Amino acid sequence: MTESTLFAAAFILYILAAGFYLATTFSKIKRRAPLGFWLGLAGLALHTLALVLRTSESGHAPFTNMYESLSFLAWSVALACAVTVRRFGLPRIGGYLMLIVIALVALASSPLMPKEAAPLVPALQSIWLWLHVSVTILGEAFFAVAFVASLVYLAARDDAKRAQMDDLAYRCVAVGFPLFTLGGLVFGMVWAAKAWGTYWSWDPKEVWSLITWFVFALYLHTRIVMGWKGKRSAVIAVIGFLAALFTYFGVNYLLNGLHSYA
Amino acid sequence: MKRTLAFFSSLRLAILLLILLTAASVLGTLIPQGRSFEEYTARFGGFTSLVLHLQLNRLYHSTWFLVLLGLFALNIVVCTLTRLGPKVRRARSPRIEVEPKSLAALKIRDCVKLKIPAAGAKSELQKILADAGYRTRETTRGGRIHILARKRVFGLFGSDSVHVGLLIIIAGGLVSGLSGFREGLTLVKGQEGPVPRSEFRLRLDDFTTEYYAGGGVKAWKSTLTVLEKTGPVLSKTIEVNHPLSYKGVSFFQASYGWDWDKTSIEIWARKKNDPAYLKKLTVRVGERRDLEDGERTALSVTKFFPDFVLGAGNEPQTRSNEPNNPAALIEGYRGEKFFSGWVFANYPDFSQTHGTADSGLTFELKRFDAEPVSVIELVYDPGAILIWIGCALVMAGLGLAFYWPTWEIRAILEETQGQADLVAAGSATKSRDRFAAEFARLGAALRRNR
Repeated sequence: MTESTLFAAAFILYILAAGFYLATTFSKIKRRAPLGFWLGLAGLALHTLALVLRTSESGHAPFTNMYESLSFLAWSVALACAVTVRRFGLPRIGGYLMLIVIALVALASSPLMPKEAAPLVPALQSIWLWLHVSVTILGEAFFAVAFVASLVYLAARDDAKRAQMDDLAYRCVAVGFPLFTLGGLVFGMVWAAKAWGTYWSWDPKEVWSLITWFVFALYLHTRIVMGWKGKRSAVIAVIGFLAALFTYFGVNYLLNGLHSYA
Repeated sequence: MKRTLAFFSSLRLAILLLILLTAASVLGTLIPQGRSFEEYTARFGGFTSLVLHLQLNRLYHSTWFLVLLGLFALNIVVCTLTRLGPKVRRARSPRIEVEPKSLAALKIRDCVKLKIPAAGAKSELQKILADAGYRTRETTRGGRIHILARKRVFGLFGSDSVHVGLLIIIAGGLVSGLSGFREGLTLVKGQEGPVPRSEFRLRLDDFTTEYYAGGGVKAWKSTLTVLEKTGPVLSKTIEVNHPLSYKGVSFFQASYGWDWDKTSIEIWARKKNDPAYLKKLTVRVGERRDLEDGERTALSVTKFFPDFVLGAGNEPQTRSNEPNNPAALIEGYRGEKFFSGWVFANYPDFSQTHGTADSGLTFELKRFDAEPVSVIELVYDPGAILIWIGCALVMAGLGLAFYWPTWEIRAILEETQGQADLVAAGSATKSRDRFAAEFARLGAALRRNR
């Protein structure tokens, strides 16, 4: 099996998973959610194999261009989805998260994304490539779960469901924020210091990471110290994820800077 | 004074500052930073002077941005200081005695009548709490036994650790900006150069570029030697991600290029009317050579541009240091100068029609060789260590704040007719659900034993 076959198979499983998850959400039949979970997990397993295969073929971390990093982000969101659905038993968010995964995989597969694994430029030849990118993207995946939970919160009418979503969003930020801080900011600074001799250059990607961090810092302070919950919290979490998304994606295409890899 | 303090320690200010810093940061990524005056006039037209006045072209180093950061730091300092004292007291010498009604106000609570005297109930309770990992303290006052049981008290200081870490990071940035230096040093093989504010010098012994089979650059390697007055003391081959450090100064492989000013050029000269004549010359920029064409013509190369382009006033210049469009300005002399023109490596035909056309000669730029140069970034950054300490504190603090929740159980035992009445209540800084479950489990354990 080649990497692209595995990737395509994972894609199909993700679509099926989304279907079963959404069927649970929008019908009265609640028995299908476990099927969504297991299909999602199977997709994740094949996707993992695809990433391992790519790593062993290219000899470097599987996130050095936009195709690879989109694929890895999709993998991370699928993982975060499996973890949260398992831990909190809320299949409702599974469907929406799987839709995000599918969108990311589709985007990665689009002909606009060059797929060939190019050899690493000198700046990327570092153990920090693994640490910086994987931890940051995992953090962003949990922000994605918080984003979905917050959107579901904002759309929901029933109080019990809202309380669940509010709580879930907070718990995901509690995982995502330390990961993002460690991977995106701390590891990023360490690597920059090692490669460029300066831990901070006010490069657009750096600044947008900081902006994302500020927004989630705002989320935590308003929530924990000022007791904001519910709607206002949800709105901040949505803005925070959009900032993270812009850091990840928008900066590369709309602003230019040092960080021109992916 | 009190009101000033209250203002600077308020969360409202913190939130306002977070919003302002975020907005300013966004603005700084929308307006390109550190560009030339011309670029700003092209982009902003009449608003250019406003942009420059507000220092939006160097926003992150502007006075007002630094003032915002300073206020942010002050806010954190005051906030942390005003909250730290009470927290330390709460951690070290907490009040153990409480009124029963303050326990009744807590959400997680329990009461049970135990069929044993209070002293027995107390040791029973303490054992159960200790087994669950709680440290207990007790005091007896007015016939009531008060018990305070806590675990992971250190978790209280998570947010303080984050805040102190941030302050140290801001301080580190200040130290880096005020007392560090970074400077590029361009060296060719064998050349040495000074290190600013230092006694020692740096020599480039070797510089190589390694390529992948497909053509991309795999590595730039510079072999450096640190020279003290007494002689060489240290040698290391550096590459990107693998710098050399000596006496607090670090040397980074920053860039590469060629020493175009001393390019050696191979030129082929032909006579238009004599196909047998072909003269191959190798000339350095600034040198003159005889063409041996029987007419005592001498050729000199006066300029070499790696990336030839015509500038605004039609004057030739180089666009970059990459050999994208290599061109040499050659001049011919027969006693005095009788022609001058550009020859292009990429456009051999173009060369023949300009300037040199009347000379009866044609020239081709066949080869050009410039010595590679390595650009070494010399960095002295005494603030960096503060950054790493700050980062460690921030991460430790986040870990404590999110995953080291302080759980606290208070209990009051009162004895009536030889039987103990127990009232207990608990609170948790985080993970309230798990705490409530543990609280219930402890209550059940106590009931089971009795």
